Amino acid sequence: MQQPTPQPTPQPTENATKYAWTVPPDRTRVIGTSVPRVDGPDKVSGRAKYTYDIARPGMLHARAVRSPHPHARIVSIDFSAAKAAPGVRGVLTWKDPGTEVMYQGDVVAAVAADTEPQARDAARLVRVEYEVLPFFSSEAAAMQPDAPVVFPNGNTQAGQTQETGDLAAGFAAAAHTLEATYSTHVITHVCLESHCSVCEWNGDQLTAWVSTQGVHASKQQIAGALKIDQANVRVICQYMGGGFGSKVTADAPIIIPARMSKDLGAPVKMVLDRKEEHLDSGNRPSAFARVRAGVSADGMLTAFDGVTWGTGGAGQGANFPLPYIYQFPNRRRAHTNVYINTGLQRPMRAPGHPQGCFVTEMLLDELADLVGLDPLELRLKNLPPTAPDAMWAEYYRMGAKQFGWDRRHPTGDRNPGPIKTGMGVSANQWGGGGRAGAAHVRIQPDGSVLVQCGSQDLGTGTRTLLPVIAGETLGAPLDAIRAEIGDSNLPFAGVSGGSTATPGIAPAIRIASGRARDALFARVASALDAAPEELAAGDGRIFVKAAPERSLAWRAACKLLGQEPITADGQWEPGFSSVNTSGVQFAEVTVDTETGIVKVTRILAIQDCGLVLDRLLAESQVYGGVIGSLNFALFEDRTLDPRTGVMLNPNMEHYLLAGMTDVPQIDVVLMDMPERGVIGIGEPPTVSTASAIANAVRNALGVPIRSLPLHPHRVLAAIDAHTNSGGGPA
Amino acid sequence: MAQNDDPAGTVSRRDFIKTVGATSVAAGVLAPAAPVTAQGPAALGPGPVPVNLTINGRARTLQIEPRVTLLDAVRDHANLTGNKRVCDRGTCGACTMIVDGRTVYSCSTLAIDVQGSRIRTVDGLANGDDLHPVQEAFCAADGMMCGFCTPGFVMATVALLEKYPKPTIAQARRELDGNVCRCGTFNRVFEAALSAGGVNRG
Repeated sequence: MQQPTPQPTPQPTENATKYAWTVPPDRTRVIGTSVPRVDGPDKVSGRAKYTYDIARPGMLHARAVRSPHPHARIVSIDFSAAKAAPGVRGVLTWKDPGTEVMYQGDVVAAVAADTEPQARDAARLVRVEYEVLPFFSSEAAAMQPDAPVVFPNGNTQAGQTQETGDLAAGFAAAAHTLEATYSTHVITHVCLESHCSVCEWNGDQLTAWVSTQGVHASKQQIAGALKIDQANVRVICQYMGGGFGSKVTADAPIIIPARMSKDLGAPVKMVLDRKEEHLDSGNRPSAFARVRAGVSADGMLTAFDGVTWGTGGAGQGANFPLPYIYQFPNRRRAHTNVYINTGLQRPMRAPGHPQGCFVTEMLLDELADLVGLDPLELRLKNLPPTAPDAMWAEYYRMGAKQFGWDRRHPTGDRNPGPIKTGMGVSANQWGGGGRAGAAHVRIQPDGSVLVQCGSQDLGTGTRTLLPVIAGETLGAPLDAIRAEIGDSNLPFAGVSGGSTATPGIAPAIRIASGRARDALFARVASALDAAPEELAAGDGRIFVKAAPERSLAWRAACKLLGQEPITADGQWEPGFSSVNTSGVQFAEVTVDTETGIVKVTRILAIQDCGLVLDRLLAESQVYGGVIGSLNFALFEDRTLDPRTGVMLNPNMEHYLLAGMTDVPQIDVVLMDMPERGVIGIGEPPTVSTASAIANAVRNALGVPIRSLPLHPHRVLAAIDAHTNSGGGPA
Repeated sequence: MAQNDDPAGTVSRRDFIKTVGATSVAAGVLAPAAPVTAQGPAALGPGPVPVNLTINGRARTLQIEPRVTLLDAVRDHANLTGNKRVCDRGTCGACTMIVDGRTVYSCSTLAIDVQGSRIRTVDGLANGDDLHPVQEAFCAADGMMCGFCTPGFVMATVALLEKYPKPTIAQARRELDGNVCRCGTFNRVFEAALSAGGVNRG
């Protein structure tokens, strides 16, 4: 994925004027406040039914048989013992004998049985004979010139070299040049609810409960995979336990139960276990960058020459934006995708950005030391011009003051004792912006309101945005509004990914609610002895703008509808949402030079986000992004055994994630820009934290930090390497 | 296994699990359940056997295989699906239940081992629509996102506040350190736990 390119701003429509967002603080009553998520009580009480919790009468359980080898040819599959096992109802061949499995965990076959343990037992009884083939367990192995051909179209795939400006002139203008190699590692999504579905047929119609980031997208993909009409598929996802980009594909955990359910005439459920989830549900690709860069004596970046590579597993790309944000007028970049025998990458929160951000931000701190400038000063000199979607300079200055950047010491904490402290900064950007979404609003004569939208709530709070927007627009009390999402029978909405969900659906809900409100005004105006256009709505009342004391309570107004409800539809239109957002983060750490343990003590995240719809939920998004990135920096790491190509930590005790004692104080500053409309912020806050932390570690130790994760043994190794090389510049 | 059993008061649950790992889990599930005879424990199973459990105050007899965990018994056989299976290895805490006043990882506890014990799950915490104060605090502070870890965090917080009605920051951090959230809600979970402090409804 490349850096977001500015998209042309479409002309605002008539609706964009008519139903323009009311802008805080003067006119909003609900939007921009902190409304607790509407499904909170269901989540805290265990009543919320996730796909994993769905049980249907007569339901069978499917279990996959997966390759234990990183690369092999299937010679034969023998189901006889499995078929004879207790409770087994059916088997399915996913990959035919003669074909190859390309990674550990690649699906070969499946069994279905009455209970989950029976299915698990039976899957073990399926005898698969493999012819083991050569494999790669590292990028370096796949890039060897004499490596065997493991991937028929090439073990590597070089992209076009991109070049801008005059590289030679750029290096000639440099007072200092630096050559270094930076890298980041592979991590997996670790959705707490693993990929799962329940499929049930009624005649030729399939109902599928799926843990998915897109009920409509799933419906279309399932229909395509099964070669049936989209109209015959209904996908439901009321609650889902995390996706982070990995749940946008209708893959084996959906198609296997769909096919087996059809064959066996019973509902079939399939839930991946933790190991399967690590191996075959996506990951964030690795990134390597061999960089040569130049900077002038006064701290202007002059040249960037980068050779980059990375792996997205057995046949997927691993590109990332580079250089990130900061302006190198003369630059060249050549990227190569490297294929190794692991599960395939999938989009993971801000695909590519954390990697490009790490390489660039680490490089900048090293260049700042070469020039003898404060790293923040160097950044301020080389940012793109300030614009509403590029506010880094302002945020850096503001953040430096709030964080106490003036207390940062130069590279290398000179204080005696084993515990060193340090500070680091980093910037982020994201494009986002949604362009598809529809909503339906119905006002019942008893005053209750139904708002429908076929989006889904990953935990971001999407469901809550329906009553927030409708409540603001209609003036109806929030507890009168019922929100329906998570069903492909509801109006279309796009995938919840890439920070596009909210900017996609919010305009549709706003327009549908605005139309419903206008229809209500038309039908109650005479009761207030006014014209419809003289009316306004808010705080649970419909009132005359010029004489607010002439009013009707919400329910009294709706009663005037008699028997006929008001219905209205809305679709995404330009003028309510924007693309492109910017943010910066500051980190402070302590590093124990005897144990190598890094502790993050403080994070400050400044994030612009357009119009804040629900402050509580927007802040939670930023907290979540920061902690996700902290995990990337300090804890999680997919570890492969180089000799066998097998993942060594497909679990949660050796695949580490932060716990309560690892999480620092996090201060979140949301920079409201209501005039820009809605902007999604799922991705940007998770881009920067890891590089801010890594630069803080570098600042503490005064040794080069050029790769993640910062596990204790790697921190100690970085200290040792620096000491053994005789010190010198960090 | 007892997650809160920390007489020294210095080792957090997470540190303990990090150090001891799967060993402690195995030790927990191997505790003898069947009556011991001169020849050793009587064999149970492998087919279903009656298992008597008292879940959220209600006594039930479930016909389940001896290998069934407390979590699966509660979810698949008592139809209480609030607590979740996530790591299935006693690490993440999404399955946290309170057994005889102490938190356990129910994914790594055998149902037959907790017969006669008082088992509390997240499903039994609210009184109809009347939420437990801890649950209310989670809602108010937005101590959740996707909500999949939330039942475990809620139960761990209830146990924390029953043990320390007015916990110190250090106590709260340590007692909630056995649960993992992937969405990154820790700061607000912590805020919720502290704001609910002082309330002990049992």
